[in-house]
Amino acid sequence: MKPSRIFISSLLNEAFGVLLIIAVWEGVSLFYPSYIIPSPAAVVTGISALLTVDFAHHLWITACRIIAGFLIAFGIGTLSGVAAAVMKITKPVNSLMVALQVVPGTILGVVFLLMFGIGSSTPILLVAVLTLPTLAINTINGMAKRNIAQEEYLKTLQCSRWQVARLSYIPALIPVLQSNLSLGMSMAVKVVVLGEFIGSQDGLGYLLNHARIMFNMKEVFFYLLVLMLFTLLFQALQSSVFSTFLRKYYFPE
Amino acid sequence: MKDDLILEVNNLCKEFGSHQVIRCLSFEIRSGNRVALFAPSGSGKTTLIRILAGLEPPTSGNINLRGPKPVIIFQEPRLFPYLTVEENIWLPFRLHQISPSAEMKREYQQWLEVCELTHCTDQYPYQLSGGMKQKTALIRGLLGRPAFVLMDEPFHSIGPVSKTAIINHIKETNPQMTAIFTTHNLEEIPLLAQSVLFFKANHLSFPANLSVQHFQSLFSESVFHPQAIGSSIAS
Repeated sequence: MKPSRIFISSLLNEAFGVLLIIAVWEGVSLFYPSYIIPSPAAVVTGISALLTVDFAHHLWITACRIIAGFLIAFGIGTLSGVAAAVMKITKPVNSLMVALQVVPGTILGVVFLLMFGIGSSTPILLVAVLTLPTLAINTINGMAKRNIAQEEYLKTLQCSRWQVARLSYIPALIPVLQSNLSLGMSMAVKVVVLGEFIGSQDGLGYLLNHARIMFNMKEVFFYLLVLMLFTLLFQALQSSVFSTFLRKYYFPE
Repeated sequence: MKDDLILEVNNLCKEFGSHQVIRCLSFEIRSGNRVALFAPSGSGKTTLIRILAGLEPPTSGNINLRGPKPVIIFQEPRLFPYLTVEENIWLPFRLHQISPSAEMKREYQQWLEVCELTHCTDQYPYQLSGGMKQKTALIRGLLGRPAFVLMDEPFHSIGPVSKTAIINHIKETNPQMTAIFTTHNLEEIPLLAQSVLFFKANHLSFPANLSVQHFQSLFSESVFHPQAIGSSIAS
């Protein structure tokens, strides 16, 4: 299958969830006045007024913060998970990550705000710190499933460490990387809003907060829709990349 | 005759906690010998193969390997699920950056025919039956005519007709191969082995080194009861 067709197929698969949420939203909106829950149709009709250069600027800033925070979390989380598995220290690393997960995001956000002031640092750091433990734990669990028997076989062939890593560790890591991308990006999108609520004067989180204070629910729902579409697009992209280039690493047990 | 010694095992012991699996085991293997290791299930045959392969340290004793490093064929195929049959078979060569000669490619084709795997070289292990996976692992180990092979129940999931064809092919193409293989299948012994290391107890110690003929005669006398063969050897 061509990459473009794989991408469209992934997009359609991912869109199913979003369409389901929109359907539920439509249903719920029937029971509430539009100043509490506006219908999807009402939000869509008002889109043109919101699609301004200013909005594009906020969207760009949020996207950059999500990607920056996510890359830090993805890099450190995955590497620490791999390192823990290689160095056989999964238990202490796992307990550290669980402890980190318990810290409430709002408290951490306030601490970062006090430490770094208003700007991009708070949302980026919040995304990194709150997403990292989940990714590290996921990596540790994924690495535990690598095939020790195959590693032993490679040992009998006097393979180098790099060869063992290439044939055993990396293939075990590929499904983990995909779930880390999927899980991490969804979390990052959620957390960046919190970070921009607390410590920023720009970005979609800031706009959302502003619209919420003004009880402009159409705008609130529009921003939520944008965040949802951003996630959908990312998921479709990563899913089609994995399906196109790394399909052979997904096999029935 | 010390010159053709390929493996010497002296007073080898292996314990797992308080459980002693191998007790003061000593034996020798000469070049070109194909030796069957016959012992009851759970007596430590796999542990011995793992120790000889360097995957498990012995508790005490020593192993003197004089020949080339042995090729190991495990009880389970240990194929790489993301590699095709062909890629799995050529993996050891690829890892050691050996480009296959025309002769080796011919040998590969012969093996595929003997193992009836010609039609599935581009299939992945999950698309194969248990027997086909084991045959792939056997080809991977035996391709290139290794001088010394350790095999742990190598034919356990392979049917009798294929098993005979594979063994005959080994004997035809690599008659000088030294091999130690574990089995608890009596039929395999006269097919491949030249001698038998027979262990009578539930742990490996003091093997009786028998010719296949002697082993078979003992077996027919003792009405297929390994313990009875053990007492026959002791007497």
